[in-house]
Amino acid sequence: MANDMSIESYLAQGGVLTSPGNVPPRYRAELMRLMATFVDSALAGAAGFADVINDGPGITERIAASRIVLEKLDHAERVLKIMGDFGADTDRYANHHPWTARLPRDADVGAIRSEHDMRLAVFNYPLEGWADAVVMNLLMGRAVCVQLAEVSRVSYQPLAEVFRAIAPVEIRHADLAEEGLEKLACDPANHEGLAASVAYWAPRVADSFGGDSSARAELLGSFGLRHNTNATLRDRWRDDVNATLARHLRFEMSG
Amino acid sequence: MARFHELTVTEVRKTIRDAVVVTLKPGNGAADAFDFTQGQYLTFRRDFDGEELRRSYSICAGKDDGQLQVGIKRVDGGAFSTWANEGLHPGDTIEAMPPMGGFFTPLDVAANKHYVGFAGGSGITPVLSILKTTLAREPGSSFTLVYANKAVSTIMFREELEDLKNTYMGRFNVLHILETDAQEIDLFTGLVTEEKCADLFKGWIDIAHVDTAFICGPEPMMLGIASALRAAGLDDGRIKFELFASGQPGRLARKTVSQGAATAANQTSAAITLDGATQTVTMGKDRTILDAALANAMDAPFACKAGVCSTCRCRVLEGEVDMIANHALEDYEVEKGYVLSCQSYPVTDRVVVDYDQ
Repeated sequence: MANDMSIESYLAQGGVLTSPGNVPPRYRAELMRLMATFVDSALAGAAGFADVINDGPGITERIAASRIVLEKLDHAERVLKIMGDFGADTDRYANHHPWTARLPRDADVGAIRSEHDMRLAVFNYPLEGWADAVVMNLLMGRAVCVQLAEVSRVSYQPLAEVFRAIAPVEIRHADLAEEGLEKLACDPANHEGLAASVAYWAPRVADSFGGDSSARAELLGSFGLRHNTNATLRDRWRDDVNATLARHLRFEMSG
Repeated sequence: MARFHELTVTEVRKTIRDAVVVTLKPGNGAADAFDFTQGQYLTFRRDFDGEELRRSYSICAGKDDGQLQVGIKRVDGGAFSTWANEGLHPGDTIEAMPPMGGFFTPLDVAANKHYVGFAGGSGITPVLSILKTTLAREPGSSFTLVYANKAVSTIMFREELEDLKNTYMGRFNVLHILETDAQEIDLFTGLVTEEKCADLFKGWIDIAHVDTAFICGPEPMMLGIASALRAAGLDDGRIKFELFASGQPGRLARKTVSQGAATAANQTSAAITLDGATQTVTMGKDRTILDAALANAMDAPFACKAGVCSTCRCRVLEGEVDMIANHALEDYEVEKGYVLSCQSYPVTDRVVVDYDQ
């Protein structure tokens, strides 16, 4: 069979790659970066949330929080396994960074990553108690759902399959957060604190979608590793979260 | 990390003029490691004139065949496939990693599914493994194979497929599409394109009742088939691709070690190529290649910065660097000049590195 198509043009036309042996070097690097971002965020998120389990007001809430921690670690492991196919030392990777480390609450790092890992910047901020954790989990959980819908189409088939498999579980996590919020919102005494948490987390989660002028976006697009712009995804997330907040708290995120 | 095992070649059988089916027996104690899933592939390694080559070939045996077989078609200029076709004999040993790959779906003895497979040329090998295993282990399921070849004489496993049709009458169907040989039905001549698939879905394949499609073949063919399947309503989760592990016929050039080497000066001139553009920067020898690239506004890839993940891999084309930690690259990659740029400090006064290779 004649085959004179380059991998680059195959990808640009929507082609799918299936094993480490197929991928060109720059594609490999961007794919690894995408996976590292997911793994580091999941590990850091789970580590931060684990500390909050005991703050849950009842057993149901503590079970929900435990389940979220368990499943986020499971998701990190599944994606890390694919990094392992490319040679990453998965055992060492899981422990190469203190995933519980956080910056002070009032640090302002914007979208800048830390020096040592690829977690999204939002995972560098500490949680302050149960209600704050619920709000963070709702806002970030919905962002993850939007991002997963996007990356479930990535051109590296083994990764797309993992993302498609974990997407329903992550949707459930965000729904659990909404249930937690609904419960807290029943008591008007909680409203002020919830509003403060939303005001704190909203811009930080919004930043996690990244800027829009990057030349990398074009490269990722041509590799089939991205399909929508960051702005499109961020708007999708904002509409989604605002609808939830309006349902339970009768206000929306500012900005 | 997966490691290589020795396998003994028990049979080398020609299927067509330029393709062989190689039967392999894992060495002592390695049988369990080679318990494959249908549709997976083996990665072999062999030394050619002092340079290690690695090539992946799909397993063509079914789970119930009781043996491990791969199909190897000779590629023009391909050192490994030519050797396998001409120089490999029963009794020889060959090194391979345990089976890898995710080109399969779980089987269920109670399932009542319809599968369709598209294979182009030697892309038949994993599809053959899948269809044999599926027909044997899912007695309620059926399989349609669309098999594209240049001509009758280049059809791998032609007789075996005919035998399977007889064994699984009513559950297995093959449509041969031939590029150059004329057939009774016009639709079966030519290339398997998006349009051709759309025509096949009109009368020959009941696409509305297909549960999963498997595609393995050249890139343009895979693109066309995937478009046609999506247009017919199959979502991505039900389309499984297997791209040939790249042809890679050419040899990698050896890195040239520059003359002059290191001096006492603590500065290096580093030419760094990324996305086709090269920047030459002056950097201290106490700085990593990655940090130098980042400090010069190059968007160099990295993630862990601990020598663990290999995101920052680049290739040293000239000069020498000292890689202080490496938990990700294998020896053969290092031999070819690949380094983890987050762990690599320049040694010579001039280095040339490339992230695009």
